[in-house]
Amino acid sequence: MNDIAVKLRRNQTLIITLVVLFVLYIMAAQGMSTKDWVITTLRGLSSGAVIFLVAAGFSIVLGLMDVFNMAQGTVYMIGAYAGWSVYVRPDTLIDLLTPLALLVVGFLLNPLWNNLLDRLNLSHRAVQVWPWVGLILAGLILLFALPHVPIAVWDWKDYQDSPIVWTQNFTRGIRTSLLEPARFGDISPFIVMGGILLGSVLAAASLVGLQRRNRAASAPRRLPWSTFVPALVLAGIGIGAYLFNDSWTRFLLDLNSTLLFLIAIAVATLTGAALGGLMEIAFIRPLYARPLYQILMTLGLSAIGIDMVREIWGRNPFMLPRPSIFNGSGEGCPATSLGGWLEHHCSTLSVTIGGKAARIRVYNEIFLILVGVVMLVVIWVLIQRTRLGMIIRAGVQDSEMVEALGINVRRVFTLVFALGVGTAALGGVLSGPMTGLSDQMGGNLLLVILVTLAIGGLTSYPGAFVGAAIVGLVQQFIIKYGQLGIKLPFMDEPFKPSPPLVPASTVLLMVIILLIMPQGLLGRKE
Amino acid sequence: MDTTTRARRSPILLRPFGKLRTLIENNIPLLVAVLCLLALPFIIAILDGQSIPNMLASKAGQSRFWQGLLIEVFILAVFAISYDLVLGVTGMLSLGHAFFFALNAYLTGIMLKSFDWSLLPTLGLVVVASVLQALLFAIVLPRVGAGLTFALVTFGLASVFDIVIRTREMAKHTGAEVGLQGIPRPDFLNPATARLTFYYVALVFVILVYLLMRRFVDSPTGRVCVAIRENENRAKMLGYNVFYFQLAALIVSAITAGLGGAMHTLYKPLVSPEIAGLHYTVDAFLILLIGGMGTLSGAMVGAAAYRLPDYYLHKWFHGNADFILGAVYVALVLFLPYGIVGTWRLRSPQIKQGWRRLLRLLSRKKEE
Repeated sequence: MNDIAVKLRRNQTLIITLVVLFVLYIMAAQGMSTKDWVITTLRGLSSGAVIFLVAAGFSIVLGLMDVFNMAQGTVYMIGAYAGWSVYVRPDTLIDLLTPLALLVVGFLLNPLWNNLLDRLNLSHRAVQVWPWVGLILAGLILLFALPHVPIAVWDWKDYQDSPIVWTQNFTRGIRTSLLEPARFGDISPFIVMGGILLGSVLAAASLVGLQRRNRAASAPRRLPWSTFVPALVLAGIGIGAYLFNDSWTRFLLDLNSTLLFLIAIAVATLTGAALGGLMEIAFIRPLYARPLYQILMTLGLSAIGIDMVREIWGRNPFMLPRPSIFNGSGEGCPATSLGGWLEHHCSTLSVTIGGKAARIRVYNEIFLILVGVVMLVVIWVLIQRTRLGMIIRAGVQDSEMVEALGINVRRVFTLVFALGVGTAALGGVLSGPMTGLSDQMGGNLLLVILVTLAIGGLTSYPGAFVGAAIVGLVQQFIIKYGQLGIKLPFMDEPFKPSPPLVPASTVLLMVIILLIMPQGLLGRKE
Repeated sequence: MDTTTRARRSPILLRPFGKLRTLIENNIPLLVAVLCLLALPFIIAILDGQSIPNMLASKAGQSRFWQGLLIEVFILAVFAISYDLVLGVTGMLSLGHAFFFALNAYLTGIMLKSFDWSLLPTLGLVVVASVLQALLFAIVLPRVGAGLTFALVTFGLASVFDIVIRTREMAKHTGAEVGLQGIPRPDFLNPATARLTFYYVALVFVILVYLLMRRFVDSPTGRVCVAIRENENRAKMLGYNVFYFQLAALIVSAITAGLGGAMHTLYKPLVSPEIAGLHYTVDAFLILLIGGMGTLSGAMVGAAAYRLPDYYLHKWFHGNADFILGAVYVALVLFLPYGIVGTWRLRSPQIKQGWRRLLRLLSRKKEE
């Protein structure tokens, strides 16, 4: 009994804040009909789910390595656009597979280069010079080879070929007729592929050489055959994607759009994770000692990312079409029960709440919440129950100590950065069918993430969840009230806030909460 | 008593010229820059073949254009210097610095336009408003310290202002997304008809701000601010009330930024809501990085090194300028971490030595 009292007293600000928030929520729900508040709550939770995915990645990265990743919103946007490309234009994906797979092959063989360099006995001057020569040569070869790879791609400057028209065709079910497979030009494809392979091998070996410049050579060892397996598999995929380009494309085009959506989710997440890993290795790693500069670096990267998206997909917003399992209509729709939905794949469910008929969109208001809960559990298990999670938790506490215990913290950093950025891309592709794609979605979301984390506690995982739920609910309730109009005592007409005021309300909430609890609701005291 | 004062005073009386000389010797780059900038409108007019009376009457031409561009540089420099005081000198990461600038820019515009105030009372109001804003930012300081939470709170307050001026509820006064236009200006300071006057006023303003800021940083208060940046706990241990000094820096910085904002409103035909966003704070951040953080003069060098290439990038690359600017940020952060002035201060002995060696090499070749 005494224990509970002590605990309550220790957390009294937290409890009082939560109670006040709950009372506010009840009061907010009082003003509208039951149907309205149920649906608004569902909407709030689903937008909270997307916010949670992006914010959780941000907070894990911030907690482990103190990197304030301002590019998180941009990666969220890139994830959405990458998902759209896989989903609507799978032929582009297959075309891209060849050069990308071949480019990575060289880097997968890094142990081999290390081994070979151990065996070679180069003079000091040669060791200093050859990596630069190799890098320049590799760059030249790649500059020659890469433009010759044909990639079927949309063109946003031409309306007939723009992403908007492709999206419309996709929703109408026209998917195959317009596609003309791209062909290699006058150069033999094998020269081009060999060039890419050679360039990648040269670049990888030179980078290894650069790293080894100031290090003593170790004794050469025999390499096990298993080191070559991933490289061989990837090279196989690359060449296969060229040889069977048509049949693979056809296969993806004829696939059920639900399965294709799953593939799109996977590819988008992987793209985000790969981008995150690259970012960490190339740009963040030199800056761990200078935290202020990291902010600027990620801001610069985010500006570059936004501009690339504008260059590739254009400035006009478009939708990511819903997969067929959430897009049914016609007979039996809207479904009245989950069984009916499974049978007809309706896009909406019709339910009676409080004596009124209400329509719930299955994708937006049920599926997204489910995904959010599943990801909450998955990441929680990852953090609490695996070895990696243990290292992450220990690193958040004291990363120098973890390093001293003999764990390669650098590799963990890269992995966690890739994971954190990958979840942002996942959030992006999932929110595509709900909010659509635009070049501003990243910047808008970044503000929301910062607010969420400030409310929940910057580096706290449960805090990200609580903050996301609060921010999502507040946003949706304010939007709903904006539609209904708020009766204020000193105004004649009901006050209808315009949509841009919605983020302002959450920001105000953040400022108030930070004034009461500087660490956020569930943050650790410094 | 008399004898002691006289004894203390006499050396000063004896060497006014010596003091002036050291002052000049210490500030040669500044003086050269000021003289160049004073003469620049005339030089450009002569090079362009424009007659001086035409130029004085603000007729279109290269000179008028360059005056305009440089006025923008001066205003940016004032904004960047004020940010340098908060971030570079006192070490507080504020992501809402554009709030000081934008609110006062809007305040000036609204007072001049909607309430028909004249210029001087408006400027007085701007100073009062700046102090109030600084106090608003400082409310959170004792609770959260000047760390990440402070950055988030300032960012939040600034974005609330940004969002509010963009809404249609405020459109009557702020012009919503379009911005504030049609602000009446006093005739003697109208950038359309008396641009040269405006140019000199802006120049004098930025130089005054720089000198006052340097005086502030060199004062005992400013030294404590630097100490807080270097080691807050140590400053606390030495008995300084850290909050008081942070507040002082915030207030001085807010007044400077606020006056810069008023200047912006007077100069620009249209005050767009862009100046209230995070982007504008980041611009100041970038200027400091280019010029050198915590150096004050770096803010001025950086403003020029930022605004002039920016103009040409937008002229040459149109939509893709952001991409190139982003690449420049990344390159700067990786390769020139102390900025132009910072690197010069660190490396000037080496640079001078290298220059001398180069000269010696060249002269030896001639002899041979």
